[in-house]
Amino acid sequence: MIERSVHFDASGHSLDAVQRAAYRLSDRLSCEISKRDDTIEATLFLAEDAEDPEALIAEFRNEVLDQALRERIRTETSDIRNLVLALAFSKTGLTDTDV
Amino acid sequence: MSRFREPTAFQAPNADWQLLPFRFERIDERILLTNLVGEHLFLSGDEFQLLADGALPADSPLVRKLRAKHVIREGSDDLPVELLALKARTRYRRLAEFTSLHIFVASLRCEHSCPYCQVSRQSSDREAYDMSAETAALALDSVFRSPSSNIKIEFQGGEPLLNFELIEEVVERAEARNESEQRNLGFVIATNLALLDKRVIDFCRAHGVYISTSLDGPADLHNKNRPRPGRNSWELATEGIQRVREELGVDRVSALMTTTRSSLDRVREIVDCYVEQGLTSLFLRPLSPYGFAIKTKSFDAYDVDRWLPFYEEGLDYIIELNSQGTPMVEQYAAIALKKMLTNDDPGYVDLTSPAGIGIGAIVYNYDGDVYASDEGRMLAEMGDTTFRLGNLHRDSYEEIMLSDALLGPLEESFTGSAPMCTDCAFEPYCGADPTYHHATAGDYLGRKPNSGFCRRNMAIFKLLLDRYESDPSTRALFTTWATH
Repeated sequence: MIERSVHFDASGHSLDAVQRAAYRLSDRLSCEISKRDDTIEATLFLAEDAEDPEALIAEFRNEVLDQALRERIRTETSDIRNLVLALAFSKTGLTDTDV
Repeated sequence: MSRFREPTAFQAPNADWQLLPFRFERIDERILLTNLVGEHLFLSGDEFQLLADGALPADSPLVRKLRAKHVIREGSDDLPVELLALKARTRYRRLAEFTSLHIFVASLRCEHSCPYCQVSRQSSDREAYDMSAETAALALDSVFRSPSSNIKIEFQGGEPLLNFELIEEVVERAEARNESEQRNLGFVIATNLALLDKRVIDFCRAHGVYISTSLDGPADLHNKNRPRPGRNSWELATEGIQRVREELGVDRVSALMTTTRSSLDRVREIVDCYVEQGLTSLFLRPLSPYGFAIKTKSFDAYDVDRWLPFYEEGLDYIIELNSQGTPMVEQYAAIALKKMLTNDDPGYVDLTSPAGIGIGAIVYNYDGDVYASDEGRMLAEMGDTTFRLGNLHRDSYEEIMLSDALLGPLEESFTGSAPMCTDCAFEPYCGADPTYHHATAGDYLGRKPNSGFCRRNMAIFKLLLDRYESDPSTRALFTTWATH
């Protein structure tokens, strides 16, 4: 088993983003995540015969960045998302406020 | 005073823009964006970076592109919100319709012995394996409890024509009842056509019944996949297809194929077989991981990675045939494309979320047991009754439709809250399929990175987008399939 630690600055990355990235790649690696002070540490475990370990670790880092961006989009757009869905399901008879 | 206002008057009053909800996926060097209702566009890496950094110049042509796809909006613009709401409402309109497909298992008996079939029985015991008139009457009560304005009753088996008297009775009683119900009522018999005779033809003509059959490809392949006494399944199926086309009309019969390991290198021959039969659509289906398919190792004979090249070659060949003037639709692509290119949802059970089990389609088994899906009854035949919702003789409609066996998988598999699905750009096109994940992973959700369902569908969506984006004539063809 190949073991590598990757560190993220907790002020710029959430635990949730690191967890989501680890889940996405969980068919190719396993991961332990811990947070100490301002640092999130992800310890990655790759199979001994993993094809290109460095590329997979780089993919994990990039995935964390993408997840951070997805988180920002979710946060920024959550109000409007709720507004759209409330409008979409209004007067359908499917919600309590219709009756 | 000028008759028209200056062009500047029509510009958005505020050049600032805001993000609307969207999801993204990196595909090779480009980034796929899908908005809240699944409309898509591709951006280059540089363009995406500008969007992500909030550094998009207000006068950039890209702003217009992103506004058109409801990825961003100008500060005070309410129209995108209203349009997205309207489109989302269109997309989910089937939820209020509720169950529209009602499957009656008229008989479990069959004279075929297909190794991949999950349910059929080689038996002459009608008492044991045929649906009774009493059970059918209870099933019909359940059918008309559904509020759906569109009701389709499909007779399946085994071979349902072995219990044709019951089919006649159900159709006539449903029609009589529909005089007051006034639903849009339709009937389908899913049959191997081996028992097709004048009585069946005349009845189907009189009552507008459609025929769905199985055709696995050329004679040797079909007869190997679908053995019966006389080894003439293909001959009987193709004779039956021609007879239905001639006597009932060309649109009254459709066919499905199932991919076995023997099919994997022969997709062009399979498509050619459909063309020769005058059929204009086929459904390139992988083997389901249920029941006898697992028991007989048919399913283990190949995995998703073997099936995908088969599908890709078949799709490309069908595109090629269309470009040469031979009409042919690949049905799975057509279903996916409708979700990708329109705001409609065809309601295909495997590709809906909430899952289509129970609330899109429901199965009344020959013995009165009610299943959330056809796959659910297949699992039950192998001893796993997870998806049995109740029994028509013992349980009320409310007990069946509000059972934990239905609500549990519906809730737990919902892609809107499933790990990885929530962030996936393909989620608007995809489905929940709790039965598949229960059968392969042991829970309704499954772990998506390891899910064959996820891998297969992501690959198909990428393939369809690639062909759609790369060739104008394929784009036109796919648009026709999507809006058909």
